[in-house]
Amino acid sequence: MHTCDSCQHQITTFADYFSNNLYTWCTNCGNYGIHAAVKRALTAENRHACETLLCFDIGCHGNGSDKIGGYRFHGLHGRILPFACGASVANRNLTVMAFGGDGGTLGEGINHLIHAIRGNYNVTFILHNNLNYGLTQGQASSTTKPGMIMTAAPDGITSDPIHPMRFVLSLQPSFAARTFSGDVKHMTETIRAGVRHQGFSFIEILQSCPTYNKATPHEWYQSRVKDVSTLAGYEPSNIAAAREISEDIENQIAIGVLYQNPSSRPFMERQANRQQVTTELINEVAMGDTSKLFDAYR
Amino acid sequence: MHNFLNRYTLKAAGESGQGVNSVGEILAKSLKESGLYTFGYREYPSLIRGGYACHQIDISDQPLTAPSAMTDFLICMSRVSFHVYLPTVRAGGIVIHNLRQLQLTEAEQQLVVDRQLQLAYLPAETMAIETGGKSVMSNVILIGVLWQLLSLDLEPVKAVLRHEFARKPEFIEPNLACLDRGFTEVVPGVAKIKLPFTLVPVREADALLTGNALLALAAVAAGVRAYYAYPMTPSSSILSYLSNAYQETGMLVKQVEDEISVAQMAIGSMYVGTRALVATSGGGFDLMTESVTMAAMTETPFVCILGQRPGPATGLPTWTAAGDLNVAVYAGHGEYARCVVALSDPESAYTILQKAFNLAEKFQTVVIVLTEKEIAESLFQMSELPANEPIERGLVPADQIEALVSSDRYKITDSGVSPRWLPGQSDAVFDANSDEHTPDGSLTEEAEPTKQMYDKRLRKQVSMEAELPDPVVWGPTQASLSFVGWGSPKNTLLDVMKEWNAAHPEKTFNYLHYEYIYPLRIAAFMKFVEASQRVVLIENNALGQLGALITQHTGYLFTERFLKYDGRPFFVEDIIEYLERT
Repeated sequence: MHTCDSCQHQITTFADYFSNNLYTWCTNCGNYGIHAAVKRALTAENRHACETLLCFDIGCHGNGSDKIGGYRFHGLHGRILPFACGASVANRNLTVMAFGGDGGTLGEGINHLIHAIRGNYNVTFILHNNLNYGLTQGQASSTTKPGMIMTAAPDGITSDPIHPMRFVLSLQPSFAARTFSGDVKHMTETIRAGVRHQGFSFIEILQSCPTYNKATPHEWYQSRVKDVSTLAGYEPSNIAAAREISEDIENQIAIGVLYQNPSSRPFMERQANRQQVTTELINEVAMGDTSKLFDAYR
Repeated sequence: MHNFLNRYTLKAAGESGQGVNSVGEILAKSLKESGLYTFGYREYPSLIRGGYACHQIDISDQPLTAPSAMTDFLICMSRVSFHVYLPTVRAGGIVIHNLRQLQLTEAEQQLVVDRQLQLAYLPAETMAIETGGKSVMSNVILIGVLWQLLSLDLEPVKAVLRHEFARKPEFIEPNLACLDRGFTEVVPGVAKIKLPFTLVPVREADALLTGNALLALAAVAAGVRAYYAYPMTPSSSILSYLSNAYQETGMLVKQVEDEISVAQMAIGSMYVGTRALVATSGGGFDLMTESVTMAAMTETPFVCILGQRPGPATGLPTWTAAGDLNVAVYAGHGEYARCVVALSDPESAYTILQKAFNLAEKFQTVVIVLTEKEIAESLFQMSELPANEPIERGLVPADQIEALVSSDRYKITDSGVSPRWLPGQSDAVFDANSDEHTPDGSLTEEAEPTKQMYDKRLRKQVSMEAELPDPVVWGPTQASLSFVGWGSPKNTLLDVMKEWNAAHPEKTFNYLHYEYIYPLRIAAFMKFVEASQRVVLIENNALGQLGALITQHTGYLFTERFLKYDGRPFFVEDIIEYLERT
């Protein structure tokens, strides 16, 4: 349902997501392609910019919050998921997307990812996984490979990395996909599937970082990725298959929609007291009748 | 019985898990239905079994809002609670217990003699089983004994028990039989009491509810549509009240994984345009503080109830304090406009939360609503709710939406308040940016735009201060002693004031109460202290935090301070002793 009072057009165009602000990312940063894919996906799904809420964590990707259209919120490091979940439940007419890096999402705010998946909030979440903290100049993240020499780790990383897809699939998500920042078309289709999905859509984007992660540039990913939709008999509703095929992140890396629960019920549809309600929480702010509730204490 | 205060005090004591609180509630309800004013005060440990707990009911034919330290009638159901609470029994008081072969220490024996206490043992569990009930109905035997000794009519208690067990009707008859058994049992060595109060049947219709129940009702009245919380005493019961009512209200009531997420979800819901509420205690609020600054920076309304208990760290989880004013006033890094309000009694609980939402939305910032365990969990008697506050949202009116441009959202204005509209309302989209930003929310690190936006946000503090109500003077304009304070001490002072001032015309007191604490309004304070002979700061903390705030803003130094920080509220005796001593 189109709720915006002022915009005249009914068809979303790429230009609706345009911003006059200049990008500040490094040359060849994966974020350029990701922004392009997000705009293309939202346009292709005809999601009006005035009814889209893009929620950004803190990190290199978050510095793009004012370089794209739509309503945006640029929150705190690690905390964007509960913000986006709280926004999504209050007005289901909005298309809510959230963006976070491997630093904020799998370090400081990792608990939020767990509970966003459990609650199955209707949010499409993009994990910008570039294997390091870029904005603070190249420290290790939870996904940095062991032995890598990073800022503040002159002799290499000693902790074992988190495998994001293994972690997410262990939580029985309703949607899990993987793509990489060198392929705008593949990212666009993956994000479209995530936006259409009813529930929490986890999309890991394997992202190049030309400044602090020389080990895995786009070419490295390009030569290793394999789209699961090209595999005969791959069934995305089979989580065991998703777990198996997503394991390898070194040699043959599975991308595409790895898992989707076809009977996913998003958060608000699960609320027992909201089954007969047709309005949104934002439409219901009015003085409530407390007299009966008070009488119960008499 | 106390010969000064017009009240009589009953205390049911036992260990955690013995149903002390439900005995207290049955007592309070039955006394109220008998035609009395009641005030229920709870002490309990942070344990599920053991320790000592009590539910104390003060009764009077005048309204009461604060507890006594001492008790006239103690019902004891556990040994530990007997030893803890025996010294709280007033001279001539009665102690009924069911503790077989109870041994009193020498000091306790002396205390019984000195105070002329009347002790009686009743094998209440055996009596309950003999009467056809279960051992837990010993509680009801003891209530029957109490009713007998107070010479009260049994019918109101029976009605309360019938109501209490309406869902388990098989328990009604045995309970009523136990009540009768206690009522008729001969209690050797204990004289009956004649309460000096006139019973007024109209009290039957009064409601008994906690400060937290009133906050839950206030949330409904304020149009709150989402409540997020992580359990933490003394705020957890707000979550229970709202979830118990959620079928009627349709409110989204969500227990969230931690207080950071609680705050973030609420800010998300508020940002898109509903009203969301959160409540926590000190430790949970500490976790929220970074998010609080995010609400301030993005100018998103945020309302948080901060239920105080003694800290630091885990402190005394189930006891009371008012030591978190500083954390509310100074919460978070950076400088920003915020509002801090503090409730004291049931009326303020209901009204202030509604006003807090209006302030938060109108000024697009953070409002922290302080309460205390003492207010949150005490049982207050009320005849009616105060009138609801009209909802003021401060949003751009529908007929002005079309003219909006993106840079209106954080437009530099004299008041500091810029137009606020909601995602989905207009194609004038904007970025709500926790980085410093220009009027459309675009990131900036330039000096001049930074200063302009910083000043704009801080100007809201001035605009807000101009709209807040002044602190209120209670009692006579002229008095020999003038208290200044906030929060629950107001209840104790007002409970004492009328009777004390009438009895001591040469030594009267009055009280200046801060409900809207920050931004601090000082004019009424300065006028008050200029007219006062002797000013005493009264606070339920050790540092005199309101006093320090006032000093910071006015230069006024409090030379006399009455501070209490042992986990207990100000009891009426504390005030009387202070007035007598000084």
